[in-house]
This record gives sequence, C-alpha cells and structure tokens, in this order.
Amino acid sequence: MHRVLLLLPTTTYRTHDFLEAARTLGVDIVCASEEPSTFESHAPDNLVTLDFDDPDAAAAKVAALADRRPLAAVVGVDDLTAVAAAAIAERLGLKASGRAAVTAARDKYQMRQCLAAAGVPVPRYRRIALKDDPFLAARGVAFPCVLKPLALSASRGVIRANNVDQFIAAFRRIGALLARDDVEARGDAAQFLLAEEYLPGIEVALEGLLMGGALHTLALFDKPDPLEGPFFEETLYITPSRLPADIQASIERVSAAACAALGLAEGPVHAELRVKDDGPWVLEVAARSIGGLCSRTLRFGTGMTLEEIILRHALGWPIASLARERRPAGVMMIPIPRAGRLTRVDGVAAAQAVAGIEDVTITAHVGQDVVPLPEGWQYLGFIFARAESATAVEASLRDAHARLAFTIA
Amino acid sequence: MSEDLKGRVQELIDTMINPAVAGHGGFVELIDVQDNRVYLQMGGGCQGCGAADVTLKSGIERLIKEEIPEVAEVLDTTDHSSGSNPYYSAGKA
Repeated sequence: MHRVLLLLPTTTYRTHDFLEAARTLGVDIVCASEEPSTFESHAPDNLVTLDFDDPDAAAAKVAALADRRPLAAVVGVDDLTAVAAAAIAERLGLKASGRAAVTAARDKYQMRQCLAAAGVPVPRYRRIALKDDPFLAARGVAFPCVLKPLALSASRGVIRANNVDQFIAAFRRIGALLARDDVEARGDAAQFLLAEEYLPGIEVALEGLLMGGALHTLALFDKPDPLEGPFFEETLYITPSRLPADIQASIERVSAAACAALGLAEGPVHAELRVKDDGPWVLEVAARSIGGLCSRTLRFGTGMTLEEIILRHALGWPIASLARERRPAGVMMIPIPRAGRLTRVDGVAAAQAVAGIEDVTITAHVGQDVVPLPEGWQYLGFIFARAESATAVEASLRDAHARLAFTIA
Repeated sequence: MSEDLKGRVQELIDTMINPAVAGHGGFVELIDVQDNRVYLQMGGGCQGCGAADVTLKSGIERLIKEEIPEVAEVLDTTDHSSGSNPYYSAGKA
C-alpha cells in the first residue's frame, strides 16, 4: 500500500476532507502535526510531530521515518505547512514544487519581487521594518494603500489606509498582531510588513493544479462582495465566474505567468487577483489549495473531490478529468461580526431549507471566543450552494446567511 | 459473537483508548458494534476538535484493528458541531 505523508496542523479545517480522500484512494496515511497526537506512541509510523517552522528539521525527521517505511508522496494542506512539505519532498525526491519557489510564494515581499522582475502586474509595494517610525515610513507611500503582514493568510492583518493617520494606526495594529503568542511569524515575517498600492476593481480567485510546470485551471471564483477595506474579509466565492470569457482567459494567462515567475511547477495553487480596466493584477499566489472548507464546492469528472485530485497528482496516479462539474456552485464563509463569546446559534434549519443550499456547517462552537478581522482568522462556519446559475447560487447563499442568527455576548 | 466483540472493544477503550485521550480532556464511548463495524462517540476535548479525525483514524481505528483484527471499520457518530470545549479549534490558513 502506498504511504502518503499529510502535514495537518491541529488548527486546519482540511483534515476531514483529506483523510476521506485518502480512504477513498486506499492509501496508508502518515499524519504529521505540530503537536503530538495522544496516540503517537501507539502508532509511531503513522503519527508524527513536526516543527513546520523548521523545514530542515522536519525533513530530517521524515527522512529517518521514510528509511524504515518509504513514503510515496507528501502533501502540505495549507499555508502553514507548504514550505515544510516542499523541503521534505525535495529531500526525499518526491513530486512537488521546489522549496525555493514555495518559500518565495509564502513571503509576500519575495513574491512581489519575483513577479515584478518577470513583468507580472503587481501593485507597487514597499517592505517596511516594524522598528521604523511609522510617521516617517508613511511619507514614502502613496494613498490609498494596503498594509499587510508578510506571511499571514486569510486576510489576517490586512488593512487599508487612506491617509497618514490611518497608516500609523494600521502599522501599530499589525505590529501588535505579529507580537501575539498565537501568531506564527518568524524571521522577516516578524520584523517587516508590506505597504502596497490599493487597487480598485473586482477580485477573483483562481484554483489551479500545476503539472510539469503547466497550470491547469480547476475553477475560477468570483467574489461578489466588494473588498474595499478597511479590512478585507472574504465571504462569497462563486464559480463559474460571470466575467467575460476574454477576461477569464487573461486571468488564467497572468496566473500562469505568476506561477512560472515564482518557479512553481507541481501541485495545487491558489491565486488571488484584482481585475482593473487594464486587465488582471496579481495579489497573491499561494502554493496550496483553497482554504477553509471551501473545496467542498468543487467536484470534478464523475464526482472526484479536490483533495483526491491533489493526492492523485502527488502520487503520480492518473486523473480521469480535471473538468469541474458544469453546475454552478458557491460558498459563503460566515464572517464574525464582532468580538466576544459565541453563546447561541439559531436558524440553521431555516438556512438549510433555502432552495439551492446543500449544507450549512457551523464550525465555531458555543462558548468559543470569536475574533473578527483583522486580528481573527476563523469563520463562524460555511454555507454551500449549487443551482442552475451563478446568480441563483449567490442569491441562495445570501438568503441562507440572512436566516442565521449568532448571539455573541 | 457481536457481544463478545463489543466486550473486547469496550475493554480496549477502557484500558488503552480513554487513558490516551484523557490527556486532552477527551473520552470515547462505544455506541455499538454491527457487522464488525464499531460505532463510537467522542466527547470532552475530542468533540469538535480539529484533530479528531486524526485521532480516530490514525489512532483509535488503527489500535482497535491491530488488537482485534476482525474489526473492519471504526465509525464516528459524534456531532462535532455541538462540541463545547474542543482541544484544538480550526482556522483558515
């Protein structure tokens, strides 16, 4: 039986879907987390603790494990594990993008440098040390701008500033966020932030799979809620895109150019772009698949999940079809309206009863302290819909969301 | 046969599984054994935990199948959305 190493942080939403895909494929899974499993001593060949922030140490530990029982593939399920997965793959000679490429994609400053050098459209940017005086730093920036940490994801810490006062407030807020105990930021990511030009326009997300350096688009998502700041909370993802075909084609071209510029060649990628009058501009290209539970909107061929495709690709197994089902689909990531303790959730049955709604999954638990953006990084849950048109999907998601009531004390 | 199997699974839960998950404030209850399938429910720190699937599939199921080879599958009946004190909570990354 083929053995696959999955890098599964204890905080990821993706565990269930990847384990389910592995079960479907009949592969033997080795689960690696940053914290020890309660059963690690009972199953040392299948449960491993790795420091995802130390890719060399993680690769050495996995190499010793693979000496005893070889591994056929390694998959990091999210941003936190992408570089460690690449380092492990490189050490074991497994299929993956190179470590240097994944590292560049993980650092927003390095990524912009690579893309700009290759002529890929990116917003004007500047890296600023957190030890610098924010008033002086703001003098070199055009407004409006967006300040963001170098390595956090899910829009965490991303703040728009329209003037010097807002710049200084955002600068200090990001500095405080990066100093928090629950924020994994080391090296440059803990010492710098990025200030970049705010780009007006609609935002889209491209989900793709790189095979031998060629980008195959799996889905293009519209984000119909305006993302204009001051924070950039993602809510709706709807596919297929309702943008004109020529614009969709240009998004795919620019995304492929961005992957090539970074040197990404194998595995899933998640790109986010702004579409202006002059075409698409790249905000991010991450060497991982879509986050949260959003992959549940996607089905391929005769019903294959995104996780199955990712595992099959990593194993070098054939993939019958990369074509997404024709039926439009979408997800709403349920935002956290304010900080506090979640004490009650109402309306789930009513939301599930809305036409087109496939599922409503509340992931926050009653009693949980919830934190909105820009400091937070979680959602209250996810709503999934499928319908005859993208417009109907969006309407169903909005209707279902309106029927939910969260009491936060 | 099923009662015997149930008894052996229960013993394993009592002697090996629950002492292990207790470290994270969790516990496991045997709901039933039918057609060599073991139905479990997780509680405490395991209910709603971000690592519950890993614990179940790579820990509990592996252990049960090793000790009781006639067990075909271990299935989780837990309503994880009702967990009020999960050991790990998921977030988007």
